[in-house]
Amino acid sequence: SLNGTEEKRFKRFESYKRDNQLPASVANLGIVVDKKSLTVILPIMGRPVPFHIHTIKNASHTPENDFTSLRINFLSPGQGVGRKDDQPFEDPNAHFIRSLTFRSQDIDRIDNVTKDIQELKKDVVRRETEKKQLED
Amino acid sequence: MESFSDIYLNLSKKPGVTRFSDSGLGWKPPGGDNAATFTLDQTQFIQAQWSRAARGYEVKVLSRQNGITQLDGFKIDDYDRLAKLFKVWYAIGLENREHALRGWNWGKAEFGKAELTFNVSNRPAFEVPYTEISNTNLAGKNEVAIDFSMPGEGNDTGTNGALAGARSNGRKTGGAKDQLVEMRFYIPGVASKAEKSKEDGED
Repeated sequence: SLNGTEEKRFKRFESYKRDNQLPASVANLGIVVDKKSLTVILPIMGRPVPFHIHTIKNASHTPENDFTSLRINFLSPGQGVGRKDDQPFEDPNAHFIRSLTFRSQDIDRIDNVTKDIQELKKDVVRRETEKKQLED
Repeated sequence: MESFSDIYLNLSKKPGVTRFSDSGLGWKPPGGDNAATFTLDQTQFIQAQWSRAARGYEVKVLSRQNGITQLDGFKIDDYDRLAKLFKVWYAIGLENREHALRGWNWGKAEFGKAELTFNVSNRPAFEVPYTEISNTNLAGKNEVAIDFSMPGEGNDTGTNGALAGARSNGRKTGGAKDQLVEMRFYIPGVASKAEKSKEDGED
């Protein structure tokens, strides 16, 4: 039944099914925002690791003199400080990656990456709100 | 002797040539600098894995002395040749490890012989060799922070620039364009003070 009082449910999502779907640009060992797949790919010890935009809470970077630090915060249980923590999780007892911080000397590119992540997040949230309004 | 070109050693900046023989493996940087050759004796080999990596496919060797050695840039069709030579020369299997591509940030952190593996739906999403961890601490309730060894200079390879910038243990995160410096986990049920460990990141 479709009514507003229904509890928020976790919806499954998936970035890629096969490794040949990874964009070729992951070879540069830099952060890649794959808008088409709603995914941010992060280099961790030489491996391209996808994170779906639905797992990302926010991203911001802090430029220093000759490098910048990009911090990506992910959604995880126990973060609902000061507001209702109604974010649904598939398995709240799992281990969660809560944040990843990267350092880069390529400040302009990281600035673009940060903006791309923020915009992608905004787009997805906006589309979901619109969808929900249509359902109501 | 089996030879493969365009192979990156431990996140090196440039690709070189890697060769396998019955005595072990070698990697030579581009430019024919024969003095600077990386070698790993087969008696050191413990385990070998095959996975998709950044440049192509990766052969990862766990060894007694050197910990984790990563060779990236193989083609998918190289698998059969490599699996055969590992079996015939070293009597070890080249284990095909498919990584998780779902894009999830939840799973299970597991501690293996030489590395921490984060598994998503029973598949590894990524691994972190212990040699790369400089510090861990309990950053908050149910929150564990892991700091990675960072060369003072982002470009410092820890090998005096030899081996085409291949990274030594404790410097691997510096091999990427964007370098991972900190990772935080939410671990339910972690209440007591986490063990503060300081590992020796130097060689």
